[in-house]
Amino acid sequence: MSDKAEDLNRVEKKDLFASGHRACGGCGQALAARLVQDASGENTIACVATGCLEVFSAPYPDPSWRVPFLHSLFENAAAVASGVEAAYKALNKGPVNIIAQGGDGSTADIGFQSISGMFERGHNVLYVCYDNEAYMNTGVQRSSFTPFGARTSTTPMGNTTRKKNMPLIAADHGIPYVATATVDDFRDLQRKVKTALSIEGPKYIHILAPCPLGWGHHGELTVEICRLAKDTGLFPIYEIIDSKVTNARKIPVKVPVEEYLKPQGRFKHLFKKGVPTEEVAEIQKIANQNIERFNL
Amino acid sequence: MEKLPLGLALDLRKVVPYKTGSWRTLMPVNIMQIPPCNHGCPAGNDIRGFLRVLAEKNDYEEAWHVLTRNNPFPATCGRVCPHPCETDCNRRDFDTPVAINSAERCVGDYGLEQNLEHKKLISERKEKVAIVGSGPAGLSCAFHLAKRGFQVKIFEANSEPGGWMRYGIPSYRLPNYILKQEIEKILNLGIELECNVKVGVNIPMDQLTQHYDAVFLGIGAQVGWSIDIRGKDAQNVFTGVEFLKQINSGQIVEVGRDVVVIGGGNTAMDCARVAKRIGANVSIFYRRTRVEMPAITAEIDEAMEERIMFRYHTNPVKIIADEGRVVGVLCVQMELKEPDASGRARPVPIEGSDLVYPADTVIMATGQAVDYDGIDIHKIDNQWISTNEDLMTSMDGVFAGGDAVLGPETVTAAIGQGARAAAAVENYIDGNVQGRLAQPPVIYSKDLNTYYYKQSRRFTKEAESIHMRLKNFREIYPSFDREEIAKEAERCFSCGLCFDCGNCYMYCPDNAVKISPSGGKYEFDLDFCKGCGLCAKECPCHYIQLTLEK
Repeated sequence: MSDKAEDLNRVEKKDLFASGHRACGGCGQALAARLVQDASGENTIACVATGCLEVFSAPYPDPSWRVPFLHSLFENAAAVASGVEAAYKALNKGPVNIIAQGGDGSTADIGFQSISGMFERGHNVLYVCYDNEAYMNTGVQRSSFTPFGARTSTTPMGNTTRKKNMPLIAADHGIPYVATATVDDFRDLQRKVKTALSIEGPKYIHILAPCPLGWGHHGELTVEICRLAKDTGLFPIYEIIDSKVTNARKIPVKVPVEEYLKPQGRFKHLFKKGVPTEEVAEIQKIANQNIERFNL
Repeated sequence: MEKLPLGLALDLRKVVPYKTGSWRTLMPVNIMQIPPCNHGCPAGNDIRGFLRVLAEKNDYEEAWHVLTRNNPFPATCGRVCPHPCETDCNRRDFDTPVAINSAERCVGDYGLEQNLEHKKLISERKEKVAIVGSGPAGLSCAFHLAKRGFQVKIFEANSEPGGWMRYGIPSYRLPNYILKQEIEKILNLGIELECNVKVGVNIPMDQLTQHYDAVFLGIGAQVGWSIDIRGKDAQNVFTGVEFLKQINSGQIVEVGRDVVVIGGGNTAMDCARVAKRIGANVSIFYRRTRVEMPAITAEIDEAMEERIMFRYHTNPVKIIADEGRVVGVLCVQMELKEPDASGRARPVPIEGSDLVYPADTVIMATGQAVDYDGIDIHKIDNQWISTNEDLMTSMDGVFAGGDAVLGPETVTAAIGQGARAAAAVENYIDGNVQGRLAQPPVIYSKDLNTYYYKQSRRFTKEAESIHMRLKNFREIYPSFDREEIAKEAERCFSCGLCFDCGNCYMYCPDNAVKISPSGGKYEFDLDFCKGCGLCAKECPCHYIQLTLEK
């Protein structure tokens, strides 16, 4: 293995995202944020949108962040990161890793225009989306990332629309690097963060981060659920480099979606006395489409 | 008041982190559990221990020391043990068990090759212990006592030590030079050995009990039993024990062309395979079928490979002799009926099915008994020495173990008994009354998270071709490649003990798993652990478990 490949594949743990944050036990987002932070290293500026991550990790006076941290509004993390990057350019400083981060709400709904603008203007910023498939911070309201069939406080009978496919939307801006990852495979996740940071221009990484509270599963299942999301085909893992889908993770043994849905409280209404309703068939269809589309 | 930078109301350097550990209701703990291999080993070998040393450091020397902490015969057991450890290995539910037996032999051979020596635990003590019999039980007991500083003397009736390992097991299974070296290492701990002395005949038992603080009887079961049939006094009718003893003492036995071995135990297999190597046509007569045969499965397989004829449902009723020499065996066919007291199907003769098989030699391997000549002791069923839980016999200060207590068993079981007796002897001499220590629980495959293990191929030992095997008494499995064995050791799941995979360290959302500064691998920072249980769930070997908060 060459030095560079070895560097990319090495697992990093630097404690740049310290203990003592107020996330729930088994929080996928806290885990993901730490893995991203440790992969990018000390030379990083974190621009974080409002959301769980900001609320649990940044209260004054004991934030978890051991790197410069900017909290912005719900809608403008990407715009603030763009400004930081422009300021560094103007001051002729750097290089520095600028990572804009947000949950699914701030990425797909409220902050969409600022992200789209950042991609379009071509800022050298990595945008990381922690996808927990609803507005968890404000009490589990539906977002445009909420998957079909999931119960949230605003869709008590189950969501009737499909999840917005943000990675492909981001890729269609023509940005150089887009990737999806989950918290269960930390090697893969950290490799993708490091790969993204080594590329000049706007980058987007979409990380599935289970929320034990909002998804209604026990905290210890966070990693297991991620694994099932991958193996059912509901969350395909791939990279898009220069508009080409590459490195799609092959599913070793395909798992029916019931396995993924059953441990989660938000899908409980899809099983009447253990018998799956027709929504489950619909979700299986979505999974099959993903498998076909990305050749998993 | 100290002036703070603009915009700060609080000196951040004095901030105490918020201790989220107070949220916890369950807490993770490291619990070392007993793997099923260690649990199932009659000699109490630390199997996981030595496999981990091989896998992590590829250090054969340390592996040998780990192994010989409990069992001074790794090279011997690696050859003759029926390895219940592999049968119990948790990996069997995943792909195939780890080849523990081969690894043990490889480590044992390394110890002999490098001439490694056992280490004494404490210096000399003045108490003296006599060991009767230098078989696996006696030597194991002597080994453990000598390590603890006792003055040990072994009395052996034969001219060479080793007991049934020396005089029973043929050298194609256990070469004599291997056994000799392992015994030498044990004796190097300062053990005195006196051969050609039969306790009860040459020295009275009382003399031992008077002169020594404790006595251990490891006298084995070395009297062959023959079934009571007509014509058994003919020439060329042996018991299995006699036959093997003669062969292993280097005597030449004329067996003729056709040899009939009666019985289905390990002794029968050994006799048959030895006779085959001398050049005879061998058939084994057994009353029941292969399923009921008490011999080690691998032994039966190898015997079959060596083209030994197995006649099931066949019971000899008369040995036909001509001028004092055997010429044939009259047999009757049996059929199996409902199980008897031993749980095996009960054979019943079929009328009119008598048949004569030609035979030049008949070997009756139909059971063994203890030679009690001059030793008066309380027995069970008038056969095996009766002992209490601490292996003490009816005589105060006289302990017993091995085949004489268990009935014909494996070498490994005898080694385990020797070690147990050594502990009991020490307690007896020190006057300790020691309750049994609570054992950690055994871990089974349902508790493991096998997602993190990869399927791999098991190491298979290559036997010599059958043609070559039958020519001589050389060992049938040539020595193994050490690199391959080290690779095989990596297949060990390390059930119930951390093997440094780092999952807990990487997965903890609260960063509450730290690298331990004090030698251990990882430890929990309970100030911050929220008790979510992610580490316990993702621990492959179930070393981390959740318990209720204290």
